[in-house]
Amino acid sequence: MAGPRAIRLVETTLRCYPARWRRRHGDEAAELAALLINDGRPAASIAWSYLAGAAREWLTPRPGRRLSTMACALLIAACSLGVTGGLLASAAPARAATGQAHGSAHCRPGPPEPVPDVIRAIGHPQVIIREAGHGRSC
Amino acid sequence: MTVGKRDAEAGQDVLRRVGEASVLILISLADEPRHGYALIQDIKELADVELGPGTLYGALDRLERLGLIESLPAEDRRHPYRITAPGAAALRLHLDSLERVSAAGRLRLQLGGI
Repeated sequence: MAGPRAIRLVETTLRCYPARWRRRHGDEAAELAALLINDGRPAASIAWSYLAGAAREWLTPRPGRRLSTMACALLIAACSLGVTGGLLASAAPARAATGQAHGSAHCRPGPPEPVPDVIRAIGHPQVIIREAGHGRSC
Repeated sequence: MTVGKRDAEAGQDVLRRVGEASVLILISLADEPRHGYALIQDIKELADVELGPGTLYGALDRLERLGLIESLPAEDRRHPYRITAPGAAALRLHLDSLERVSAAGRLRLQLGGI
């Protein structure tokens, strides 16, 4: 990842921290991230670490922080995860369709055909596991 | 909430609850004050553990709240941290406890012939 983009990614995640934390550690945390990126640590892993740290910071009870603030933070985090999950789910069929358009060897369009060699998972009749090498692998 | 010297003197291993990152930070600060980047590098050398920066600041905040470390005036934008007397006492107690557990483990392995 290019330097400025990596720094921007980390700075974006630093904005997820509470204002009190940013006043105390913000500048130092940005500088530390820049040093670690220079050392070759992936920016994504640094950003992820800061994101997890921000979540912990919001969810840790502090004197003076109202419960409603924490509940709001939790709700926003849950909504963000939901939106991300939704985007990923909607992107999957599109990706599969692109693969078909390029003539993928394993994925064939059309209605699902009955697959004779299927194993029903014990205790989970709705779960079907295809035997390796016989089902379509998408 | 701070951990007084009395807690350590009373034999309570307060570091049992704070997690590995906090213990490694205290060990790293045991000989001299260090700032964030120096801590990450020292812990990598010391224990082959790559602390994430988010984990580092979380642990530093917790240790500071417990009174086990204190931050010194900033140099540029970096805050060096220093271990406090209760922090040193707590670390000593925790390391003693680890040593006892480690010795017992080795003895049992020996007895088990493994």
